[in-house]
Amino acid sequence: MDPALVAFLMRIISRTFNTKLLTGILLIQCALCHFVVGQVESANWHSVFHGLILADGDEETFVKDLEVFGDPGISDLYEAWRTGDVYSFEQDREKIALRQMSSSSWIKISTGEAIELSSSDLESMSKLRASRGVRRMMKSLIDTLGLKAEDPIVRQESAMKLGLSQNSEFLPALRSRLEIETNKNVQTSIHEALAISLLANGSPEEILQSVETLGDLKSVPGRDFVQKLYDTEIESDRSESALSQASINTISKIEAYIGRVEFIGNFFRGLSLGSVLLIVSFGLAITFGLMGIINMAHGEFVAIGGYTTYLVQTWFISIWGIDSYAFGWYFVISLPISFAVAAVIGLGLEKSVIRFLYRRPLESLLCTWGLSMIMQQGFRLIFGAANVQVNNPAWLLGNLSVGGFNMSYTRLFIMAIAVVVVILTWLLLRKTNLGLHIRAVMQNRDMASSLGIPVNKVNSMTFALGCGLAAVGGSVLSQIGNVGPSMGQAYIVDCFMVVVIGSVGNLLGAGISAMGIGSIDQFLQPSLGPVMGKITVFFLIIIFLQWRPGGLFPTRSRSLED
Amino acid sequence: MIHHDPLYKDTPLILSVSGVDKSFDGFKAINDLNFYLEEGELRTVIGPNGAGKSTFMDILTGRTKPDCGSVVFHDSDGHDYNLAKLREFEINRLGIGRKFQTPSIYKSHTVYDNLVLSLDRPRGAFQSLIYRESPDDREIIHDVLKTIRLSDRKQDLAGSLSHGQKQWLEIGMLLAQNPRILLIDEPAAGMSDEESERTGELLLSLEKKHSLIVIEHDMEFIRQIARKVTVLHQGHVLKDGAFDKVKSDPEVIEVYLGRQGEKSATT
Amino acid sequence: MEAWRIVSYSFKKPRRLTGINWMYLSDNKKEIGLFLMIGVLLMLIPGMNAWGPDSGVFAVSSFQVSLWGKYLTYAVLAMSLNLLWGYTGLLCLCQSLFFALGGYMMGMHLMLMIGERGAYQNVLPDFMVFLGYTELPTHWVPFYSFWFSSVAVLCVPGLVALVFGFLAFRSRIKGVYFSILTQALTYAACLLFFRNDFTFGGNNGFTDFKDVLGLDLNLASTQRILFILSVLLLLLAYVITSGLLATKFGKIQQAIRDSENRVSFSGYSTTSFKLIIFTLSAMIAGAAGALYVPQVGIINPSEMTPAKSLDVVVWVAVGGRGTKWGPVIGAIVVNLLKSFATRAYPDSWFIILGMLFVIVVLFLPDGIVGLYHKIRSKFPQKASLKAITA
Repeated sequence: MDPALVAFLMRIISRTFNTKLLTGILLIQCALCHFVVGQVESANWHSVFHGLILADGDEETFVKDLEVFGDPGISDLYEAWRTGDVYSFEQDREKIALRQMSSSSWIKISTGEAIELSSSDLESMSKLRASRGVRRMMKSLIDTLGLKAEDPIVRQESAMKLGLSQNSEFLPALRSRLEIETNKNVQTSIHEALAISLLANGSPEEILQSVETLGDLKSVPGRDFVQKLYDTEIESDRSESALSQASINTISKIEAYIGRVEFIGNFFRGLSLGSVLLIVSFGLAITFGLMGIINMAHGEFVAIGGYTTYLVQTWFISIWGIDSYAFGWYFVISLPISFAVAAVIGLGLEKSVIRFLYRRPLESLLCTWGLSMIMQQGFRLIFGAANVQVNNPAWLLGNLSVGGFNMSYTRLFIMAIAVVVVILTWLLLRKTNLGLHIRAVMQNRDMASSLGIPVNKVNSMTFALGCGLAAVGGSVLSQIGNVGPSMGQAYIVDCFMVVVIGSVGNLLGAGISAMGIGSIDQFLQPSLGPVMGKITVFFLIIIFLQWRPGGLFPTRSRSLED
Repeated sequence: MIHHDPLYKDTPLILSVSGVDKSFDGFKAINDLNFYLEEGELRTVIGPNGAGKSTFMDILTGRTKPDCGSVVFHDSDGHDYNLAKLREFEINRLGIGRKFQTPSIYKSHTVYDNLVLSLDRPRGAFQSLIYRESPDDREIIHDVLKTIRLSDRKQDLAGSLSHGQKQWLEIGMLLAQNPRILLIDEPAAGMSDEESERTGELLLSLEKKHSLIVIEHDMEFIRQIARKVTVLHQGHVLKDGAFDKVKSDPEVIEVYLGRQGEKSATT
Repeated sequence: MEAWRIVSYSFKKPRRLTGINWMYLSDNKKEIGLFLMIGVLLMLIPGMNAWGPDSGVFAVSSFQVSLWGKYLTYAVLAMSLNLLWGYTGLLCLCQSLFFALGGYMMGMHLMLMIGERGAYQNVLPDFMVFLGYTELPTHWVPFYSFWFSSVAVLCVPGLVALVFGFLAFRSRIKGVYFSILTQALTYAACLLFFRNDFTFGGNNGFTDFKDVLGLDLNLASTQRILFILSVLLLLLAYVITSGLLATKFGKIQQAIRDSENRVSFSGYSTTSFKLIIFTLSAMIAGAAGALYVPQVGIINPSEMTPAKSLDVVVWVAVGGRGTKWGPVIGAIVVNLLKSFATRAYPDSWFIILGMLFVIVVLFLPDGIVGLYHKIRSKFPQKASLKAITA
């Protein structure tokens, strides 16, 4: 398994389980361990730095000792020292250094503990400044501090920063770190940083070597530097030189890589848009396939999902507060609640209105349009005409980076939900009694009825299921889009297209066409813009229907009048 | 190049179907079908459910396009038309009319108008706009009305007719078209014994003037009208010949008539 | 579909097909009487405005003239949809698009007629100056001509319908699929017109019109002329509908609604019939849109949203689809209700409209006209408005 993926999973697990609900012994133990370890380690660099501040002539040895550590606290403290926030103070006849954190709070540098001072103490203090020599020694230490950090990602970033500066001073630090570095990703970054730096500082052989290395590493940041190098070669009429050949080679390698990343990016975004379309249009496909109901109010059930998520969020905030661990759970909880709320409302509508419309698609279209208007206005009256704010839980923020390409956790999670929805729907239709009944009614309602299948009950359940799925879609949408009274309208036309292309009532078709329309839409958007992209998709659909009028998987009916 | 079945070399053919395949999602509805119809012949097509009878009709009328093979209509002026390349209304204009299994009529038009719209007159959009009923047209319609026994209901809406009457009206609409080939799908379905006997008589009276292909299930009805019978099985012609000969054929009995067939064959 | 029940009120007396005959109205004294009565009654509105009292029950303000003028163009729009949905069974959800296209074509001419009287005092329309255009886009130039614009009013919606209809009907898209695709077409066009770089004013569309053919649009007399033109368009649309329905073409149109397969198995190319009706209906809607714009004084993309198209469907359904006057009654009744309800209950107008829709579909499939006939058949007294549906 990919380490990044493991990290992602671990993060989700730790974020979600690290709640107040689980304040068990385990948690306390962990906290204790961390506390003790942290104390020992920090005490070390603190005392060394303390020694350096109070040193008298032997600064060099202290700086050498300090080079072992990679704690970001060092740079912070150095900055304080440099800007004059560090004072010397005599306590119990011993000279110690203090750092002023704010006007009235002080900490001991040697331990990091806070210290209470009286007003008379304040008068006896004197400001300490780093000498010019110390500052010179410290500069490269501070600059390369990140290379020693605990977090490998910080080490990678730091290495790249040093490399991109193309400053020859950092070359020794990078090289020495490379010797002891064990993490593969960091090693790669240091190689890349070295190569970029050497483009400006190396011998001709080293430059050539670096250009080739950058090509092998497919270094996106290195592209511009190599380009610059190539431009100078051309300007000085050396287009045939080995260097310019290598540069061309490298640039094309990197560009191919960028193209690939963009392609994957579009594909990824397409899949995640497709996932939303899929969840929403599954409901639509089920209601149309089973009951011949074109549900124009389907978009409003999407909105019900969005608003339910909003309400669940508000409820969590009011009970646990927005910064609590529990808040991270609200989205997960809101998915089944949205489903249930929409299913109950759908059930009510089915019993009161929809059941009069079976097998009358055109009438159902008009009637549900009326329902849609009522529901939209209802949302406006209850929640106001403006969009409501739905926040992402913290664990969905951020990106998973795979091979230079970032995938947002939100979108990954949406895709996971789509997969779960597909599996659950499939299980429901294939493995349960209700599913058997639903399929029977879909194929032949009269025959199913005469075989004793409670057709009316099956209809109600199916409609409720369809509405529930729409709401799950809405809940998911709340994480990547706006929640407002007409949020469903923006997606409903797309979803109808999905159902038409996938052949009405065919779930496999709906799945394929949702992914297809989602991806094509995302591929067209970068070059055509969102509006023209949508319009092009629409015309592609028209053309597709010229070729396959019945959609992907047309059902062949023997009766004449469809 | 059309290969006429050697059996019919001397008689003029009106329809030749040869080597036709059609499959739906992998299911072979029609499998290497060869079928020849003579001018003025009345042919009955039988076969168990799923034998491909309706698909066969769909292919003849252009509703479904065959995967391969040829469907050729031999016009009286010597022209051959490949029906697989034409659209429904073009095939109909050549003179191939179809009656569907479930009656397909214009329920919000009167019986009279149903027939007017079916007349064999110029049928373009503009011609329809300037169309005027001629005394000839009226005469034809009244004849048809008499034949299908709906004269006294000509100004009623077709939607208000009984099921049997709708079947008759649809046959009447076919007659008004005056087609060269009539394709008739289960004409006796939903009819009383008396009605279906009259239907049989009507079909017999059309023989010679028109060519007919009749699909039917009802053995009594087939016995009444059958001249030559074609048995379809799994999209392929299993047997054809005289009804008596076919119904006693052991292969036919096995695939289609079964025990019931044996019984009716011995009675 | 239960549509045939409606038509059962007609055809008590056999009527022969006689081809196009605009005088066919004279066959039916009651119908021609009703036709003339409605024409005269509508002409009373501008008459009262011009010569009637300034106050009191019989006073008709200029505002009301243009308001009713707007209703009449809506009524024509509803009639054009009825031609498709009521008589051919095609539930088209892009009627508002055709209406708005007609409106935009007329709007382009009106924008150019503003000339240098706009806010920026530039020959270019204001929005172009605002967006930094230095010269008029080529496709705008011919719209200086009123007659070119008038032709475009009919041809542009007609052409869109012709192309889209050809693709849709050729691949046998019908029923709900047709509705969904036409809705998507409207949606796509609406998105397109919302764009600023589409040279049609983006969000704000066209407004601040000054005059047409030298007549000041702010004058009551101009509004009266436009109103009279709307009445004439309404009557023309009625004559076209009735005239068409009396021919074999019209009968085939209704036959397509009942059994499209039978029609094509009777040797008619249903594709071309549907295409002609679709195009004709788009042109009528475009003409209505062209009269709407100068009376209302603004056209923007919100006129062509899918929701607007469904509004038209409500009008037809409420009035009674597949009836000749039903769409007119529906358009006027619903819009009167709307202007009343949006003032009296601004929050619940959409709820009222939605309820109306649900109730009409569930309980009044033939709308107001159907209700009238239902009541009449319960109390069989003297014959009267039977002509409405004839």
